[in-house]
Amino acid sequence: MTVRWMRLSLVFTLLLVGLIACGSPAVEPTPTSAPAPTQAPAPTEAPAPTEAPAAPTEAPAPTEAPPDPSTLSIVEIAAADDRFETLVAAISAAGLADALSGGEFTVFAPTDDAFDALPAGTVDSLLADPAGALTDVLQYHVVEGAVLSGDASALSFAPTLLADRNISIDARDNGLFLNGEAMVIAADIQAANGVIHVIDHVLVPRTLTFYHFGDLSGPLAGVTAPLITGFNDAVAAANAGRGVYGATIDLEFTDTQSSVDAAVAAYDRYTSESDDILVMFTYGSGDGEALMSRFREDRIPNLAAGLSSVAFYGPESGYTFGYAPIYPEQFGLFLDYIVANWDAVKPEGAGDEIKLAYISWPTAYGQGALTPESRAYAEQLGVEIVAEELFDPTPTADTTTAILNAQAAGANVIYTNTLAFGPASILNGLGVLGLRGQFLVGANNWAMDVATYAFLSDPALAAGMISPFPYLWWTDVDNPGIQYVSQVFAEFERPIELQAVGYLLTFGGVDLAIMAIEDAVDAVGFDNLDGQAVFEALTKMSETSVLDGLFFVDFTDGSRSPHIAQIRQIQGGPDAFVVLQDFAATPDLVPAETFDLGQ
Amino acid sequence: MAIMRPAGDFDRSYEQDMAVVRQRWQLGLLLVFLAALYTLPLYASGTLVSLVNRIGIFIIAVQGLNILTGYTGQISLGQAAFMTVGGYASALLMAELGWSFFLALPAAGLIAGFVGLLFGLPSLRVKGFYLVMATLAAQFIIPWFARNAYRDLLNGAQGINVAVPFFRLPVVANTCFLGTTFEAATGSCLYRFSTPSQFIFITLTVLIITTVAQANLSRTRFGRALVSVRDNDLAAELLGINLFRYKLRAFFLAAVYAGIAGSLLAHNLRFINSETVNLADSVLMLGMLVVGGLGTRLGPIFGTAFVLLVEEMVTTLTPILIDWFPGIEGTATAALRPLIFGLALVLFLIFEPRGLAHRWTLIKAAWRLRPFAH
Amino acid sequence: MNWQLLPQFAITGILSGGPIALIALGLVLIFKSSEIFNFAHGQMLLIGAMATWWFFSPSALGRVFPADEQFALRLALAIVLALLTSVLLGLLIERLALRPMTGQPLLSIILMTLALSQALQGLTILTFGATQRNFPVIFRVTEPYRITWPFRQNAAADASCRFALGGELQPGCILTLLRQDLLWSFVVAIACVLLLYAFFQYTRMGLSMRATAEDHETAQAVGIRINRVFGLSWAIAGMIATVGGILIATASGLDLSLSVVVLAAFPAVLLGGLESIPGAIVGGLLIGLFQGLVALPNNDFFLGPEAAQAVRNSREIVPYVILLIVLLIRPDGLFGQKRIERI
Repeated sequence: MTVRWMRLSLVFTLLLVGLIACGSPAVEPTPTSAPAPTQAPAPTEAPAPTEAPAAPTEAPAPTEAPPDPSTLSIVEIAAADDRFETLVAAISAAGLADALSGGEFTVFAPTDDAFDALPAGTVDSLLADPAGALTDVLQYHVVEGAVLSGDASALSFAPTLLADRNISIDARDNGLFLNGEAMVIAADIQAANGVIHVIDHVLVPRTLTFYHFGDLSGPLAGVTAPLITGFNDAVAAANAGRGVYGATIDLEFTDTQSSVDAAVAAYDRYTSESDDILVMFTYGSGDGEALMSRFREDRIPNLAAGLSSVAFYGPESGYTFGYAPIYPEQFGLFLDYIVANWDAVKPEGAGDEIKLAYISWPTAYGQGALTPESRAYAEQLGVEIVAEELFDPTPTADTTTAILNAQAAGANVIYTNTLAFGPASILNGLGVLGLRGQFLVGANNWAMDVATYAFLSDPALAAGMISPFPYLWWTDVDNPGIQYVSQVFAEFERPIELQAVGYLLTFGGVDLAIMAIEDAVDAVGFDNLDGQAVFEALTKMSETSVLDGLFFVDFTDGSRSPHIAQIRQIQGGPDAFVVLQDFAATPDLVPAETFDLGQ
Repeated sequence: MAIMRPAGDFDRSYEQDMAVVRQRWQLGLLLVFLAALYTLPLYASGTLVSLVNRIGIFIIAVQGLNILTGYTGQISLGQAAFMTVGGYASALLMAELGWSFFLALPAAGLIAGFVGLLFGLPSLRVKGFYLVMATLAAQFIIPWFARNAYRDLLNGAQGINVAVPFFRLPVVANTCFLGTTFEAATGSCLYRFSTPSQFIFITLTVLIITTVAQANLSRTRFGRALVSVRDNDLAAELLGINLFRYKLRAFFLAAVYAGIAGSLLAHNLRFINSETVNLADSVLMLGMLVVGGLGTRLGPIFGTAFVLLVEEMVTTLTPILIDWFPGIEGTATAALRPLIFGLALVLFLIFEPRGLAHRWTLIKAAWRLRPFAH
Repeated sequence: MNWQLLPQFAITGILSGGPIALIALGLVLIFKSSEIFNFAHGQMLLIGAMATWWFFSPSALGRVFPADEQFALRLALAIVLALLTSVLLGLLIERLALRPMTGQPLLSIILMTLALSQALQGLTILTFGATQRNFPVIFRVTEPYRITWPFRQNAAADASCRFALGGELQPGCILTLLRQDLLWSFVVAIACVLLLYAFFQYTRMGLSMRATAEDHETAQAVGIRINRVFGLSWAIAGMIATVGGILIATASGLDLSLSVVVLAAFPAVLLGGLESIPGAIVGGLLIGLFQGLVALPNNDFFLGPEAAQAVRNSREIVPYVILLIVLLIRPDGLFGQKRIERI
C-alpha cells in the first residue's frame, strides 16, 4: 500500500508541480521572437537529403554558412531553430544536453507555442525542479533509437526514456498523434544522433486510477479470483503497451468478501480519495444493485460483471454497463434454442412438452434470470416452469432433494443461474441419483466454465449442458483478441485453472474502459476528463467490438448490456464448448420500468 | 462508580449522586466533543466520515444489546436479525406507504421491538445456553422469513432497494433554506441525506437520543430491576420483581434499538436483504459489548469504536502485509478480520474482562489522584 | 404433497442425521465434563477436515506416496495425522483459552468459545487458504442402491408393487434411491458413536470422565485429576470433530462453509438433552429426518405453491423451529436431566 501510495503521490505531485502551480513565464526570450506560425512551414522543407554532400568537414563551424543539419546533434539543431527556445533552455537546465548529443534518439520536440499553451507558471515550476519534474517531462519526449514518422505510424506505442512510461501513437487522416493530444506538425528532421519530430503539445506523463472491489476471500472467492487476476493482468499489459493514450493505469482494489456493507464502505473511501473517478468496476450483482443509484448521483460509470437486470435497467440506475446480456435475456435465448431444437436436444424418453425446473441459489444473483418478463416469455413459448427449487451457494450444497422434487413435478429441463460450482452441484446430484439422462441441463454464461470441472465428481456428467455464450472462448485461437489474452496469460505464467470466463471478461472490460476513456479524451481533452465524459463516450458506443471480437457492446438508445450471444454445448471433456448456434439476438426482456436519465 | 472518585469529591445530594454529567466543565467538554462530531464533514476525509457513520449506527445496536445482555444478563445472538427487521420495516413504510423517513425510523424500531418480544418469550422458561439457542433461532428464522414470505413485497433473497432519507421545505421568498435545493417536479425545496457526510447528521442525532435514553435507564427503578434480574433472579423475584415482565421489556428495548440501527443501516446502504446483517454481526456485536464493558454507559461506544477501528486498520494494513508476506495474498482480509477480532476478544476476556469502560474510569481516577497511587 | 417421495426423503434425512449426531456428540462430551457449550466446534470440524486434506495433498504425503494404488494407505495416514493434530488443538484450546476462564460467569465462557470460533476461522484461512478444495472421495459413488416399495404411485399403475432391494424398477411403483456415500458415512458415524459409548461404559478413563461430569469435587476426592479429564475431553472432542468433518467433506467437498454444519447440531444437542449421549444421537437423527421431510410439499400443498416452496426451503431453519418448540414445551430435552431451575 505504502509503495503504491507513494508512487501515486509522487505522480500527483509531479502533475501538480507540472500543471497547476502558478507564476509568470520565466523564459524571457520567447515572446520577443517573431510569431512561430509564419516560420513553421520552413523546416519541413529544410530536411537534409538534398543538401547532404557538404556535411562532415564543415561541422565544427556552426555560425556561418548553413551547415548540413544531419551532421549536427539533436540539441544543436534544436538550438539553431528559434521555435524551440523553451525546449532548449529546459534541456540545458535539466543537464540533458550532453546525454542527447550522443547515442541515438528520437525526440518529439514541443514548440515554444506548445509550452506557452501550458497553464501559466507551469514552465517556471518545472524549471525550479530541474533534476526531478523537468527531467521526467523531458525524458518523456525522448524515445531510444531513430524512428522515422513512416515507421512510427505503424506503431501503437513507444517506450520513452522515462522509466515505465510509454507514449501512444495513432496515425490518423490528418497526421500522426501522440497520446491522443499532440500532433506531429513537422516530421523527420534528421540529426547526427537521431531524428526530431516537431509536436504542437507538451506531453505529460499521466496516471489514471481504475477502482474495483470484489470478493477475493469470501464465499465466492474461487469465482472472483480469475476476474480480478484477469483485470490486473489486462491493466499490467496495457501499461506495458500504450496505456490510456500513454497514461499509466493505477489500481485500487478492496476485498469486500461478498458483503454489500463492505462494498459501500469501499465506494465511500474511493469517492473521498478522488473527486473525479473515471470508471469503477464491480463484480457481484448485489454490489451493483446496491450502488447503482450512487453511480448515477456521482456520475461515475460502472462496468459490471454481474449481469443483474435491476442494476442495468432499474429506475435508479443508468450508469451501470455490462459485458454480456442480462440474465433474463440469456434465459430467453436458451428457451428460444431448446424450443426450436427440442427434438434434437431433448432427453431420452421425454415428451413433446418442455417442463422446466429452475434450480438455483437463493441470492440476488441466483434468482436473477427469473423476472416477470422472462416468465411471461417462457409462457409465450409454451414452456412450463413446473418447479422452482433452491440450494445453498456453496460447493458442498446438497441438490438431491431439489432434483427429486423437480422430477416429481415432471420436469425434463433444469436451468440454473449460478457460477461454476452451482451447475457442478446439480450435475453431481444428478450423478449420485443416477438421473443424469432424464434431464437437459442448461445454465447461464458463468456456469459453462473450466471451474465447473473442478467440482464435478465425474467430468462425463457435464456433457450435454447447454448455455448462452455471449463471448468467445480460449479455444477460439483464430481470433486475435483471444490470441492476445492467451499471450498475456502465458507471459504472467498464470496457473491453468485461472483460464476461466472471469479472466476473459474482465480483460475485455479493461479494454472497453480504455476505449471509452480514449473516446472521452477525444471529445473533451485530458484536462476536462471526468466520469461524466467517460459515461457519455460509453453511451455513444454502437456495435463496438471489444478486444477484436471477444464480445460486442452497444450502449446507444438506453441499452446498457449487449443483446446477442451464441449457444454452446459441452461435448466431451473440459474446454470442449462447442458452438451450436452462432451469435444471435436475444429476446428483448429488459424490465418494463427502466431508468430515465431525463435532464 | 463512586468509588473511583478522589477523597473530598463527595456528593451532597441524591441528584448529584445520580448525575450523568457531574460537573460543568464536563458538560463543556461534552458539548465541544459533540460539536466536533457534527462538524466532522467540514474537516475530515470522506473515509473517516463514512467510518464514524458506520460506528455510530452499530453503537446504537450494541446499546440495545447492552440493555439486554449487560444490564439484564440475557445473552442474545439475535441482535442482527432484529436489525434486519428494522431495515425492512422502514424501507417498506417509506416505499409502500409513502411515510417520511423520520416517521418510519421510530416505527421500524417499534416493529422490531414487537418481533423481539416474540423471541423473548422462551425466556419465560429458560436461561443461559438455552436462551442463547432461542435467540439463535431468531437469527435463522427471521432471515428465512425475509427470503421466503411475501415475495411480492420482500422480493425474496434478492432483497430490496431502500430509499434515501430526505425532507422537503416550502420555497420561502424564492429561496431554498437549510442547504436544500429546488426540485422543479414538486415545486419545493429538497434535501437528500445521500452521502455519508449528510447521513451522519441523522446518525449522530439518533445516537444522542439513544445514548441519553440508555444512560437514564440505569438510574430508574426499571434499570435497577433489570440489574437485579441479572445478578440474582430468584432474589429479584422475592423482592417483588416480575421476572418475566422485566425480561420481556429488556428484549423489547434491545430489539427497538436494533430496529432503529437496522433502519439507519439500510437507508445508509440503500439496500437490504436477508444477509446484509447476519449471524457474524450478532457475534461481532456481542464481542463489541464485551470489549467495551458490559452494563456500562460508555461500554457500547468504546467497544464498537474499538472493534470497527481495528477492522478498518486491518483493511488498510492488508496491502502492506501482502507486500511483506506475498504468500498471503488473496486470503489476508478474510483471515485477518476474524483472527484479530477473535484474538482481541480472547485477550479481553482473560486480561480485561470488565472492558474498556472500566479501563477508562481507572485512567480518569489515576489522572485525578495524581501523583498518588490511591 | 409428494407422498411417493416420503420414504426417499425420510431415509435420506436419517442418513444425513448420522454426521449431525456425531457432531452433537462432540458438543455433549465437552458440556458433560466441563459445562462449556462449545461454539467453536464447527471450526474444529473445519480444521480437522482441512488438515486431512493437507496431509493427503501432493505437498505432504502425496510426495511420499504419489501412486494411485497407495490411495488407501495415503488417506489412512492422512486421517491419523489429522486426528493427532486435532488432539493437540483440543488440548491447546483447553489449556490456553478455557482453563483461565474457570469460575467465570456463563456469559464470559460463551463469549470465549465464540471468540475462539472467530480466531480459529481466521487461522484456518491463513493456513489453508479460502478456496474450495477437492477432498479425497472415500466412498466411491457408484450407482445408488434402489429400493422399491409395495405402494403404487398412481392408480394407473398396473404392476403389483413389491418390496425389493436393488431389484428392477416396476413401472408406477414407488422407488427410493439410496445414496451410497450417505449410507457409508452414516455407518461410520454410528460406529464412532457406539465406540465412544463403549469407552464411557467400560474403560477406566471413560468412567472417570463420567464421574467428573457428575460432580467435580467428588471426582477429585476419589483421586481423579479433573484437569486431565478436561483436557482429555477436549482432545476426544477434537477427534470426533475431525471424523465428522471428514465424513461431510468427503460427501460434498471441502470449503470454509463446512463450519456452518455445526449450526444444525446445536439444536440436536438441546433436543436430546444437553448432557445425554443417547440424546445427542436421537436428536441428530431426528433433526436429519425433519430436514428431509420438509422437502415433501409440492405445488398441491394445501397452503398453495408459494407456501410449499417456502416450506421446502426451510431446511436450515427446521432445527431451530424444533428447538423453539422444545424450549417452550420440554426445556430439558428428550433425555436430559431435569436440572433446569424453574423461574
